[in-house]
Amino acid sequence: MKCGVRFCGGCNPRFERGEVFRMYKREIPEIEFTYASEEDTYDTLLVIGGCQSCCAGYEQYDVKGDVIKLWDISQVETIKEKLIKLI
Amino acid sequence: MLMTKEQYIESLRQMKTRVYMFGEQVENWVDHPIIRPSIECVGMTYELANDPEYADLCTAKSSYTGETVNRFTHLHQSTDDLIKKVKMLRLLGQKTASCFQRCVGMDAFNAMFSTTYEMDKKYGTNYHDNFNNFLKMVQENDFVVDGAMTDPKGDRGLAPNAQKDPDLFMHIVERREDGIVVRGAKAHQTGCINSHWHIIMPTQAMREEDADYAVAFATPTDADGIYMIYGRQSCDTRKLEEGADVDLGNAQFGGQEALVVFDNVFIPNEYIFMAGEYDFANMMVERFAGYHRQSYGGCKVGVGDVLIGAAALAAEYNGAQKASHIKDKLIEMVHLNETLYCCGIACSAEGQATEAGNYQIDLLLANVCKQNVTRFPYDITRLAEDIAGGLMVTMPAESDFNSDLVVGKNGETVGEICNKYFAAAPSCTTEERMRILRFIENMCLGASAVGYRTESLHGAGSPQAQRIMIARQGNLEAKKALAKNIAGIK
Repeated sequence: MKCGVRFCGGCNPRFERGEVFRMYKREIPEIEFTYASEEDTYDTLLVIGGCQSCCAGYEQYDVKGDVIKLWDISQVETIKEKLIKLI
Repeated sequence: MLMTKEQYIESLRQMKTRVYMFGEQVENWVDHPIIRPSIECVGMTYELANDPEYADLCTAKSSYTGETVNRFTHLHQSTDDLIKKVKMLRLLGQKTASCFQRCVGMDAFNAMFSTTYEMDKKYGTNYHDNFNNFLKMVQENDFVVDGAMTDPKGDRGLAPNAQKDPDLFMHIVERREDGIVVRGAKAHQTGCINSHWHIIMPTQAMREEDADYAVAFATPTDADGIYMIYGRQSCDTRKLEEGADVDLGNAQFGGQEALVVFDNVFIPNEYIFMAGEYDFANMMVERFAGYHRQSYGGCKVGVGDVLIGAAALAAEYNGAQKASHIKDKLIEMVHLNETLYCCGIACSAEGQATEAGNYQIDLLLANVCKQNVTRFPYDITRLAEDIAGGLMVTMPAESDFNSDLVVGKNGETVGEICNKYFAAAPSCTTEERMRILRFIENMCLGASAVGYRTESLHGAGSPQAQRIMIARQGNLEAKKALAKNIAGIK
Protein backbone atom coordinates (compact mmCIF):
# COMPACT_ATOMS: atom_id res chain seq x y z
CA MET A 1 0.00 0.00 0.00
CA LYS A 2 1.24 3.42 -0.92
CA CYS A 3 0.65 6.32 1.46
CA GLY A 4 1.54 9.88 0.49
CA VAL A 5 2.44 12.17 3.34
CA ARG A 6 1.78 15.91 3.30
CA PHE A 7 2.98 18.15 6.11
CA CYS A 8 1.58 21.49 7.12
CA GLY A 9 4.21 24.22 6.96
CA GLY A 10 5.10 23.92 10.64
CA CYS A 11 4.76 27.55 11.79
CA ASN A 12 4.03 26.68 15.42
CA PRO A 13 3.82 22.88 15.78
CA ARG A 14 2.79 21.39 19.09
CA PHE A 15 4.76 18.20 18.44
CA GLU A 16 7.63 16.96 16.28
CA ARG A 17 5.81 16.24 13.01
CA GLY A 18 8.78 14.68 11.26
CA GLU A 19 9.33 12.28 14.13
CA VAL A 20 5.77 10.94 13.78
CA PHE A 21 6.36 10.36 10.07
CA ARG A 22 9.63 8.54 10.75
CA MET A 23 8.02 6.45 13.50
CA TYR A 24 5.23 5.30 11.17
CA LYS A 25 7.80 4.40 8.50
CA ARG A 26 9.73 2.41 11.06
CA GLU A 27 6.81 0.68 12.75
CA ILE A 28 4.58 -0.03 9.73
CA PRO A 29 7.04 -1.31 7.12
CA GLU A 30 4.17 -2.88 5.16
CA ILE A 31 3.11 0.59 4.02
CA GLU A 32 5.21 2.54 1.56
CA PHE A 33 5.26 6.07 3.02
CA THR A 34 6.56 8.81 0.73
CA TYR A 35 6.38 12.58 0.63
CA ALA A 36 3.29 13.37 -1.45
CA SER A 37 3.97 14.37 -5.06
CA GLU A 38 1.58 15.53 -7.75
CA GLU A 39 3.18 13.12 -10.20
CA ASP A 40 2.10 10.07 -8.22
CA THR A 41 -1.11 8.27 -7.16
CA TYR A 42 -1.68 7.08 -3.60
CA ASP A 43 -3.89 4.54 -1.91
CA THR A 44 -4.22 6.89 1.01
CA LEU A 45 -2.92 10.30 2.03
CA LEU A 46 -1.72 11.17 5.51
CA VAL A 47 -1.83 14.88 6.33
CA ILE A 48 0.30 15.75 9.36
CA GLY A 49 -0.50 19.14 10.86
CA GLY A 50 1.30 20.71 13.79
CA CYS A 51 -1.86 22.09 15.40
CA GLN A 52 -5.60 21.69 15.19
CA SER A 53 -5.97 24.03 12.21
CA CYS A 54 -4.15 21.34 10.17
CA CYS A 55 -3.93 23.87 7.34
CA ALA A 56 -1.90 21.91 4.80
CA GLY A 57 -3.26 21.98 1.26
CA TYR A 58 -3.74 18.50 -0.24
CA GLU A 59 -6.43 18.82 -2.94
CA GLN A 60 -3.72 18.70 -5.60
CA TYR A 61 -2.88 15.04 -4.93
CA ASP A 62 -4.35 11.99 -6.62
CA VAL A 63 -5.67 9.76 -3.82
CA LYS A 64 -7.72 6.61 -4.43
CA GLY A 65 -8.76 6.06 -0.83
CA ASP A 66 -9.02 8.03 2.40
CA VAL A 67 -7.32 11.23 3.42
CA ILE A 68 -6.29 10.82 7.05
CA LYS A 69 -5.53 13.91 9.11
CA LEU A 70 -3.34 13.97 12.20
CA TRP A 71 -2.89 17.19 14.17
CA ASP A 72 -2.35 16.14 17.78
CA ILE A 73 0.12 13.82 19.41
CA SER A 74 -2.78 12.01 21.13
CA GLN A 75 -3.97 10.77 17.71
CA VAL A 76 -0.75 8.96 16.84
CA GLU A 77 -1.77 5.51 18.14
CA THR A 78 -5.34 5.64 16.84
CA ILE A 79 -4.19 6.63 13.38
CA LYS A 80 -1.48 3.99 13.47
CA GLU A 81 -4.18 1.38 14.05
CA LYS A 82 -6.29 2.88 11.27
CA LEU A 83 -3.35 2.71 8.87
CA ILE A 84 -2.63 -0.91 9.79
CA LYS A 85 -6.27 -1.83 9.09
CA LEU A 86 -5.91 -0.42 5.60
CA ILE A 87 -3.13 -2.85 4.69
CA MET B 1 12.11 26.58 -10.46
CA LEU B 2 13.27 26.36 -6.87
CA MET B 3 16.91 27.18 -6.17
CA THR B 4 18.72 25.42 -3.37
CA LYS B 5 20.50 27.40 -0.68
CA GLU B 6 23.83 26.38 -2.17
CA GLN B 7 22.79 27.53 -5.65
CA TYR B 8 21.62 30.83 -4.19
CA ILE B 9 24.95 31.49 -2.49
CA GLU B 10 26.82 30.50 -5.65
CA SER B 11 24.62 32.86 -7.69
CA LEU B 12 25.68 35.74 -5.45
CA ARG B 13 29.32 35.03 -6.23
CA GLN B 14 28.59 35.65 -9.91
CA MET B 15 27.40 39.20 -9.19
CA LYS B 16 29.51 42.33 -9.38
CA THR B 17 27.75 44.09 -6.52
CA ARG B 18 29.79 46.99 -5.11
CA VAL B 19 29.87 46.98 -1.30
CA TYR B 20 31.70 49.35 1.05
CA MET B 21 32.29 48.94 4.77
CA PHE B 22 34.50 50.82 7.25
CA GLY B 23 35.61 53.10 4.42
CA GLU B 24 36.86 50.33 2.17
CA GLN B 25 35.48 48.25 -0.69
CA VAL B 26 34.62 44.67 0.27
CA GLU B 27 35.63 42.46 -2.64
CA ASN B 28 34.50 39.08 -1.30
CA TRP B 29 31.35 40.17 0.49
CA VAL B 30 29.77 36.71 0.27
CA ASP B 31 32.27 35.31 2.78
CA HIS B 32 32.76 38.43 4.86
CA PRO B 33 32.15 37.47 8.54
CA ILE B 34 29.92 40.50 9.17
CA ILE B 35 27.80 39.95 6.04
CA ARG B 36 27.67 36.16 5.76
CA PRO B 37 25.15 35.55 8.61
CA SER B 38 22.58 37.64 6.72
CA ILE B 39 23.19 35.57 3.58
CA GLU B 40 22.65 32.41 5.63
CA CYS B 41 19.38 33.91 6.80
CA VAL B 42 18.10 34.38 3.25
CA GLY B 43 19.49 30.92 2.50
CA MET B 44 16.94 29.55 4.95
CA THR B 45 14.13 30.76 2.66
CA TYR B 46 15.53 28.39 0.03
CA GLU B 47 16.28 25.54 2.42
CA LEU B 48 12.76 25.38 3.84
CA ALA B 49 11.11 25.65 0.42
CA ASN B 50 12.97 22.48 -0.56
CA ASP B 51 12.02 20.62 2.63
CA PRO B 52 8.72 18.63 2.48
CA GLU B 53 8.10 19.41 6.16
CA TYR B 54 7.86 23.13 5.36
CA ALA B 55 6.96 23.26 1.66
CA ASP B 56 3.24 23.82 2.26
CA LEU B 57 4.04 27.26 3.64
CA CYS B 58 7.21 28.09 1.75
CA THR B 59 6.04 27.29 -1.77
CA ALA B 60 2.98 28.20 -3.84
CA LYS B 61 1.58 27.65 -7.32
CA SER B 62 2.48 30.49 -9.66
CA SER B 63 -0.56 32.40 -10.86
CA TYR B 64 1.28 32.85 -14.15
CA THR B 65 2.42 29.31 -14.94
CA GLY B 66 0.94 26.92 -12.38
CA GLU B 67 4.46 25.85 -11.53
CA THR B 68 5.69 25.53 -7.96
CA VAL B 69 7.53 28.69 -6.90
CA ASN B 70 8.99 30.00 -3.70
CA ARG B 71 6.20 31.78 -1.83
CA PHE B 72 8.45 34.82 -1.52
CA THR B 73 7.95 35.37 -5.27
CA HIS B 74 4.20 34.71 -5.24
CA LEU B 75 1.20 36.95 -5.91
CA HIS B 76 -1.44 36.26 -3.25
CA GLN B 77 -4.45 34.61 -4.87
CA SER B 78 -6.70 34.26 -1.81
CA THR B 79 -7.01 35.01 1.88
CA ASP B 80 -5.51 31.57 2.43
CA ASP B 81 -2.37 32.76 0.62
CA LEU B 82 -2.26 35.84 2.85
CA ILE B 83 -2.58 33.68 5.97
CA LYS B 84 0.09 31.28 4.77
CA LYS B 85 2.42 34.19 4.17
CA VAL B 86 2.12 35.21 7.84
CA LYS B 87 2.67 31.63 8.95
CA MET B 88 5.71 31.29 6.69
CA LEU B 89 7.23 34.45 8.14
CA ARG B 90 6.65 33.20 11.68
CA LEU B 91 8.37 29.95 10.73
CA LEU B 92 11.38 31.79 9.26
CA GLY B 93 11.65 33.93 12.38
CA GLN B 94 11.68 30.79 14.49
CA LYS B 95 14.42 29.22 12.39
CA THR B 96 16.74 32.25 12.28
CA ALA B 97 15.90 34.55 15.24
CA SER B 98 16.75 37.33 12.80
CA CYS B 99 15.38 39.40 9.95
CA PHE B 100 15.48 37.09 6.91
CA GLN B 101 15.06 40.03 4.54
CA ARG B 102 13.10 38.49 1.70
CA CYS B 103 9.57 39.61 2.63
CA VAL B 104 10.17 43.15 1.42
CA GLY B 105 10.42 41.97 -2.18
CA MET B 106 7.26 39.89 -1.90
CA ASP B 107 5.39 42.88 -0.51
CA ALA B 108 6.69 45.07 -3.33
CA PHE B 109 5.54 42.51 -5.95
CA ASN B 110 2.01 42.47 -4.64
CA ALA B 111 1.74 46.24 -4.31
CA MET B 112 3.30 46.80 -7.74
CA PHE B 113 1.03 44.26 -9.46
CA SER B 114 -2.21 45.94 -8.43
CA THR B 115 -0.98 49.54 -8.68
CA THR B 116 0.46 49.18 -12.19
CA TYR B 117 -2.84 47.62 -13.28
CA GLU B 118 -4.79 50.65 -12.12
CA MET B 119 -2.21 53.08 -13.53
CA ASP B 120 -2.44 51.49 -16.97
CA LYS B 121 -6.23 51.65 -16.78
CA LYS B 122 -6.13 55.40 -16.22
CA TYR B 123 -3.20 56.40 -18.41
CA GLY B 124 -2.94 53.64 -21.02
CA THR B 125 0.64 52.97 -20.01
CA ASN B 126 2.34 49.61 -20.26
CA TYR B 127 3.62 49.25 -16.72
CA HIS B 128 1.52 46.23 -15.77
CA ASP B 129 2.91 44.15 -18.65
CA ASN B 130 6.41 45.33 -17.78
CA PHE B 131 5.91 44.23 -14.22
CA ASN B 132 4.35 40.87 -15.14
CA ASN B 133 7.28 40.06 -17.42
CA PHE B 134 9.69 41.02 -14.67
CA LEU B 135 7.97 38.91 -12.01
CA LYS B 136 7.74 35.89 -14.31
CA MET B 137 11.50 36.13 -14.76
CA VAL B 138 11.96 36.40 -10.98
CA GLN B 139 9.77 33.34 -10.36
CA GLU B 140 11.50 31.29 -13.04
CA ASN B 141 14.90 32.03 -11.54
CA ASP B 142 13.83 32.10 -7.86
CA PHE B 143 15.59 35.43 -7.37
CA VAL B 144 15.77 37.51 -4.21
CA VAL B 145 14.47 41.04 -4.82
CA ASP B 146 14.90 43.98 -2.49
CA GLY B 147 11.81 46.16 -2.32
CA ALA B 148 13.28 49.63 -1.79
CA MET B 149 11.04 52.45 -0.65
CA THR B 150 12.74 54.69 1.92
CA ASP B 151 14.54 57.75 0.58
CA PRO B 152 16.95 59.68 2.80
CA LYS B 153 14.36 62.53 2.70
CA GLY B 154 16.63 65.36 3.93
CA ASP B 155 14.59 68.16 5.52
CA ARG B 156 11.31 66.49 6.47
CA GLY B 157 9.54 69.84 6.27
CA LEU B 158 10.22 70.21 2.56
CA ALA B 159 8.76 68.46 -0.48
CA PRO B 160 11.13 66.43 -2.69
CA ASN B 161 11.43 69.20 -5.30
CA ALA B 162 12.13 71.82 -2.62
CA GLN B 163 15.13 70.07 -1.07
CA LYS B 164 18.43 71.93 -1.24
CA ASP B 165 20.01 68.76 -2.61
CA PRO B 166 17.63 67.20 -5.20
CA ASP B 167 19.22 63.77 -4.75
CA LEU B 168 17.76 63.31 -1.28
CA PHE B 169 14.77 61.76 -3.02
CA MET B 170 15.18 59.28 -5.90
CA HIS B 171 14.36 61.06 -9.13
CA ILE B 172 14.50 60.94 -12.90
CA VAL B 173 17.35 63.07 -14.23
CA GLU B 174 16.99 62.18 -17.91
CA ARG B 175 14.28 60.75 -20.12
CA ARG B 176 15.48 58.90 -23.22
CA GLU B 177 13.76 57.06 -26.05
CA ASP B 178 14.89 53.73 -24.59
CA GLY B 179 14.52 54.44 -20.88
CA ILE B 180 15.26 56.80 -18.00
CA VAL B 181 18.31 57.76 -15.94
CA VAL B 182 17.77 58.00 -12.18
CA ARG B 183 19.77 59.45 -9.31
CA GLY B 184 19.35 59.34 -5.55
CA ALA B 185 19.57 56.75 -2.79
CA LYS B 186 17.50 54.38 -0.72
CA ALA B 187 18.31 54.16 2.98
CA HIS B 188 18.01 51.31 5.52
CA GLN B 189 17.72 48.74 2.72
CA THR B 190 17.20 45.35 4.30
CA GLY B 191 18.88 42.52 2.45
CA CYS B 192 19.95 44.77 -0.42
CA ILE B 193 23.45 43.36 -0.85
CA ASN B 194 22.38 39.74 -1.16
CA SER B 195 19.46 40.50 -3.47
CA HIS B 196 19.73 39.73 -7.17
CA TRP B 197 17.44 42.59 -8.16
CA HIS B 198 15.95 45.73 -6.68
CA ILE B 199 12.44 47.11 -7.08
CA ILE B 200 12.39 50.83 -6.41
CA MET B 201 9.23 52.58 -5.26
CA PRO B 202 8.46 56.19 -4.37
CA THR B 203 8.81 56.90 -0.68
CA GLN B 204 5.66 59.00 -0.11
CA ALA B 205 2.66 60.65 -1.77
CA MET B 206 3.78 63.08 -4.48
CA ARG B 207 2.33 66.26 -6.02
CA GLU B 208 2.51 67.45 -9.61
CA GLU B 209 5.66 69.46 -8.95
CA ASP B 210 7.30 66.23 -7.72
CA ALA B 211 6.46 64.23 -10.85
CA ASP B 212 10.10 63.35 -11.53
CA TYR B 213 10.24 61.83 -8.05
CA ALA B 214 7.26 59.56 -8.74
CA VAL B 215 9.34 56.75 -10.15
CA ALA B 216 9.26 52.96 -9.83
CA PHE B 217 11.39 50.41 -11.61
CA ALA B 218 13.44 47.22 -11.34
CA THR B 219 17.17 46.98 -11.76
CA PRO B 220 19.84 44.35 -11.22
CA THR B 221 21.68 44.92 -7.94
CA ASP B 222 24.99 45.13 -9.74
CA ALA B 223 23.88 47.55 -12.47
CA ASP B 224 26.36 50.24 -13.48
CA GLY B 225 26.17 53.16 -11.04
CA ILE B 226 24.74 51.27 -8.04
CA TYR B 227 26.81 50.80 -4.87
CA MET B 228 26.09 50.10 -1.23
CA ILE B 229 27.50 51.34 2.05
CA TYR B 230 26.98 48.80 4.81
CA GLY B 231 25.05 49.76 7.96
CA ARG B 232 26.78 49.19 11.29
CA GLN B 233 25.06 47.06 13.87
CA SER B 234 25.58 46.94 17.60
CA CYS B 235 28.46 44.58 18.51
CA ASP B 236 29.17 43.94 14.80
CA THR B 237 32.95 43.70 15.14
CA ARG B 238 32.60 40.76 17.53
CA LYS B 239 32.12 38.83 14.27
CA LEU B 240 35.68 39.76 13.28
CA GLU B 241 37.21 38.30 16.45
CA GLU B 242 39.17 35.13 15.84
CA GLY B 243 37.23 32.00 16.81
CA ALA B 244 34.22 34.02 17.98
CA ASP B 245 31.27 31.80 18.77
CA VAL B 246 29.57 32.14 22.16
CA ASP B 247 30.06 35.91 22.33
CA LEU B 248 28.14 36.35 19.07
CA GLY B 249 24.93 35.07 20.63
CA ASN B 250 23.70 34.02 17.20
CA ALA B 251 26.72 32.89 15.19
CA GLN B 252 24.65 31.51 12.32
CA PHE B 253 22.17 34.19 11.31
CA GLY B 254 21.68 37.95 11.19
CA GLY B 255 20.04 40.79 9.34
CA GLN B 256 21.52 43.36 6.99
CA GLU B 257 20.88 46.96 6.02
CA ALA B 258 22.77 49.37 3.80
CA LEU B 259 22.52 52.67 2.01
CA VAL B 260 21.98 51.96 -1.70
CA VAL B 261 23.25 54.72 -3.95
CA PHE B 262 22.05 55.27 -7.53
CA ASP B 263 24.65 57.33 -9.34
CA ASN B 264 22.99 58.08 -12.68
CA VAL B 265 21.67 54.59 -13.31
CA PHE B 266 20.06 53.79 -16.66
CA ILE B 267 16.75 51.93 -16.49
CA PRO B 268 15.53 50.41 -19.79
CA ASN B 269 11.85 50.94 -20.66
CA GLU B 270 10.87 47.32 -19.99
CA TYR B 271 11.79 47.67 -16.30
CA ILE B 272 9.93 50.92 -15.65
CA PHE B 273 6.74 50.66 -13.57
CA MET B 274 6.07 54.37 -12.93
CA ALA B 275 7.66 57.47 -14.42
CA GLY B 276 5.86 60.63 -13.45
CA GLU B 277 2.34 59.39 -12.57
CA TYR B 278 2.55 61.22 -9.24
CA ASP B 279 -1.11 60.62 -8.38
CA PHE B 280 -0.38 56.87 -8.00
CA ALA B 281 2.60 57.26 -5.67
CA ASN B 282 0.37 57.27 -2.61
CA MET B 283 -1.48 54.12 -3.71
CA MET B 284 1.80 52.29 -4.18
CA VAL B 285 3.11 53.44 -0.80
CA GLU B 286 -0.08 52.54 1.07
CA ARG B 287 -0.36 49.11 -0.49
CA PHE B 288 3.28 48.24 0.04
CA ALA B 289 3.18 49.55 3.62
CA GLY B 290 0.00 47.59 4.28
CA TYR B 291 1.53 44.31 3.14
CA HIS B 292 4.72 45.03 5.03
CA ARG B 293 2.81 45.89 8.21
CA GLN B 294 1.08 42.52 7.86
CA SER B 295 4.51 40.88 7.49
CA TYR B 296 5.56 42.04 10.93
CA GLY B 297 2.66 40.10 12.42
CA GLY B 298 4.54 36.97 11.32
CA CYS B 299 8.30 37.55 11.36
CA LYS B 300 8.52 39.36 14.70
CA VAL B 301 6.30 36.70 16.24
CA GLY B 302 8.69 33.97 15.12
CA VAL B 303 11.67 35.83 16.53
CA GLY B 304 9.64 36.43 19.69
CA ASP B 305 9.01 32.68 19.96
CA VAL B 306 12.76 32.10 20.10
CA LEU B 307 13.33 34.89 22.63
CA ILE B 308 10.60 33.53 24.89
CA GLY B 309 12.23 30.11 24.68
CA ALA B 310 15.59 31.63 25.51
CA ALA B 311 14.15 33.46 28.52
CA ALA B 312 12.56 30.25 29.77
CA LEU B 313 15.90 28.45 29.42
CA ALA B 314 17.71 31.27 31.22
CA ALA B 315 15.24 30.91 34.07
CA GLU B 316 15.93 27.17 34.23
CA TYR B 317 19.68 27.66 34.05
CA ASN B 318 19.48 30.24 36.84
CA GLY B 319 17.40 27.78 38.90
CA ALA B 320 14.52 30.27 39.03
CA GLN B 321 11.98 28.54 36.82
CA LYS B 322 9.61 27.67 39.68
CA ALA B 323 9.25 31.25 40.93
CA SER B 324 5.68 32.42 40.33
CA HIS B 325 6.74 35.83 39.01
CA ILE B 326 8.99 34.16 36.43
CA LYS B 327 6.13 31.97 35.25
CA ASP B 328 3.89 35.02 35.06
CA LYS B 329 6.45 36.96 33.02
CA LEU B 330 6.73 34.11 30.55
CA ILE B 331 2.95 34.02 30.27
CA GLU B 332 2.93 37.77 29.60
CA MET B 333 5.56 37.34 26.87
CA VAL B 334 3.48 34.64 25.18
CA HIS B 335 0.36 36.79 25.49
CA LEU B 336 2.05 39.77 23.85
CA ASN B 337 3.59 37.65 21.11
CA GLU B 338 0.39 35.82 20.22
CA THR B 339 -1.50 39.15 20.18
CA LEU B 340 0.80 40.25 17.36
CA TYR B 341 0.11 36.98 15.56
CA CYS B 342 -3.65 37.48 15.99
CA CYS B 343 -3.38 40.81 14.17
CA GLY B 344 -1.29 39.30 11.37
CA ILE B 345 -3.82 36.52 10.85
CA ALA B 346 -6.82 38.83 11.20
CA CYS B 347 -5.73 41.34 8.57
CA SER B 348 -5.05 38.41 6.24
CA ALA B 349 -8.36 36.63 6.86
CA GLU B 350 -10.19 39.92 6.16
CA GLY B 351 -8.28 40.47 2.92
CA GLN B 352 -9.95 41.10 -0.42
CA ALA B 353 -9.22 40.95 -4.12
CA THR B 354 -7.79 44.00 -5.86
CA GLU B 355 -8.96 45.13 -9.30
CA ALA B 356 -5.94 43.36 -10.75
CA GLY B 357 -6.93 40.09 -9.11
CA ASN B 358 -4.33 39.54 -6.40
CA TYR B 359 -5.34 39.78 -2.75
CA GLN B 360 -4.52 42.52 -0.34
CA ILE B 361 -4.86 42.65 3.41
CA ASP B 362 -7.37 44.65 5.40
CA LEU B 363 -5.51 47.94 5.74
CA LEU B 364 -6.97 48.98 9.09
CA LEU B 365 -6.12 45.68 10.75
CA ALA B 366 -2.65 45.60 9.16
CA ASN B 367 -1.92 49.03 10.59
CA VAL B 368 -3.20 47.99 14.01
CA CYS B 369 -0.92 44.96 13.70
CA LYS B 370 2.15 47.10 13.03
CA GLN B 371 1.22 49.64 15.70
CA ASN B 372 1.31 46.81 18.24
CA VAL B 373 4.62 45.65 16.80
CA THR B 374 6.09 49.09 17.56
CA ARG B 375 5.44 48.34 21.25
CA PHE B 376 5.24 44.69 22.18
CA PRO B 377 8.75 43.52 21.18
CA TYR B 378 10.07 46.23 23.53
CA ASP B 379 7.95 44.80 26.34
CA ILE B 380 9.05 41.28 25.45
CA THR B 381 12.76 42.22 25.48
CA ARG B 382 12.31 44.01 28.81
CA LEU B 383 10.81 40.87 30.29
CA ALA B 384 13.54 38.71 28.74
CA GLU B 385 16.22 40.92 30.28
CA ASP B 386 14.37 40.86 33.60
CA ILE B 387 14.35 37.06 33.61
CA ALA B 388 17.91 36.69 32.29
CA GLY B 389 19.48 38.92 34.95
CA GLY B 390 22.27 41.45 34.70
CA LEU B 391 24.88 38.84 33.86
CA MET B 392 23.84 39.01 30.20
CA VAL B 393 25.65 42.36 30.02
CA THR B 394 28.39 41.95 32.64
CA MET B 395 29.70 38.50 31.77
CA PRO B 396 33.39 38.13 30.83
CA ALA B 397 34.35 37.24 27.28
CA GLU B 398 34.35 33.76 25.84
CA SER B 399 38.16 33.98 25.72
CA ASP B 400 38.20 34.50 29.50
CA PHE B 401 36.19 31.36 30.04
CA ASN B 402 38.72 29.48 27.88
CA SER B 403 41.84 31.15 29.30
CA ASP B 404 44.70 29.09 30.75
CA LEU B 405 46.34 32.12 32.33
CA VAL B 406 47.12 31.33 35.97
CA VAL B 407 45.78 33.97 38.37
CA GLY B 408 44.93 32.17 41.63
CA LYS B 409 47.14 31.41 44.62
CA ASN B 410 46.46 27.73 44.12
CA GLY B 411 47.18 27.83 40.40
CA GLU B 412 43.61 28.51 39.22
CA THR B 413 43.32 29.87 35.69
CA VAL B 414 41.11 32.73 34.53
CA GLY B 415 38.94 30.12 32.81
CA GLU B 416 38.56 28.04 35.96
CA ILE B 417 37.66 31.11 37.99
CA CYS B 418 35.03 32.19 35.46
CA ASN B 419 33.56 28.72 35.32
CA LYS B 420 33.56 28.51 39.14
CA TYR B 421 31.80 31.81 39.78
CA PHE B 422 29.35 31.73 36.90
CA ALA B 423 28.11 28.20 37.46
CA ALA B 424 24.41 28.01 38.32
CA ALA B 425 21.80 25.23 38.28
CA PRO B 426 23.12 21.67 37.76
CA SER B 427 20.84 21.30 34.70
CA CYS B 428 23.35 23.20 32.58
CA THR B 429 27.04 23.74 32.08
CA THR B 430 28.48 27.20 32.60
CA GLU B 431 29.03 27.42 28.85
CA GLU B 432 25.38 26.61 28.14
CA ARG B 433 24.31 29.35 30.55
CA MET B 434 26.72 31.76 28.91
CA ARG B 435 25.39 30.79 25.47
CA ILE B 436 21.77 31.49 26.29
CA LEU B 437 22.59 34.79 28.01
CA ARG B 438 24.66 35.95 25.03
CA PHE B 439 21.82 34.88 22.76
CA ILE B 440 19.39 37.06 24.72
CA GLU B 441 21.90 39.90 24.65
CA ASN B 442 22.16 39.53 20.86
CA MET B 443 18.40 39.88 20.42
CA CYS B 444 17.78 42.56 23.03
CA LEU B 445 20.71 44.90 22.43
CA GLY B 446 23.20 43.23 20.09
CA ALA B 447 23.25 42.78 16.32
CA SER B 448 19.79 41.17 16.14
CA ALA B 449 18.21 44.01 18.12
CA VAL B 450 18.42 45.98 14.87
CA GLY B 451 15.76 43.66 13.50
CA TYR B 452 13.78 42.84 16.62
CA ARG B 453 13.63 46.25 18.29
CA THR B 454 14.33 49.32 16.15
CA GLU B 455 13.08 47.68 12.96
CA SER B 456 9.89 46.84 14.87
CA LEU B 457 9.56 50.54 15.65
CA HIS B 458 10.51 52.13 12.34
CA GLY B 459 10.44 49.35 9.74
CA ALA B 460 7.35 49.42 7.47
CA GLY B 461 6.74 52.94 8.74
CA SER B 462 7.21 54.63 12.10
CA PRO B 463 4.35 54.56 14.64
CA GLN B 464 2.81 57.84 13.49
CA ALA B 465 2.44 56.48 9.95
CA GLN B 466 0.17 53.75 11.26
CA ARG B 467 -1.83 56.18 13.34
CA ILE B 468 -2.54 58.28 10.25
CA MET B 469 -3.83 55.16 8.47
CA ILE B 470 -5.83 54.11 11.53
CA ALA B 471 -7.42 57.57 11.59
CA ARG B 472 -8.31 57.27 7.89
CA GLN B 473 -9.70 53.77 8.16
CA GLY B 474 -11.17 53.90 11.64
CA ASN B 475 -14.76 54.61 10.52
CA LEU B 476 -15.37 57.08 13.35
CA GLU B 477 -18.56 58.51 11.85
CA ALA B 478 -20.21 55.10 11.90
CA LYS B 479 -19.20 54.68 15.53
CA LYS B 480 -20.77 58.05 16.38
CA ALA B 481 -23.94 56.97 14.60
CA LEU B 482 -24.05 53.80 16.71
CA ALA B 483 -23.78 55.80 19.89
CA LYS B 484 -26.42 58.31 18.77
CA ASN B 485 -28.83 55.55 17.87
CA ILE B 486 -28.66 53.82 21.24
CA ALA B 487 -28.55 57.07 23.21
CA GLY B 488 -31.64 58.34 21.41
CA ILE B 489 -29.96 61.31 19.72
CA LYS B 490 -31.54 62.38 16.43
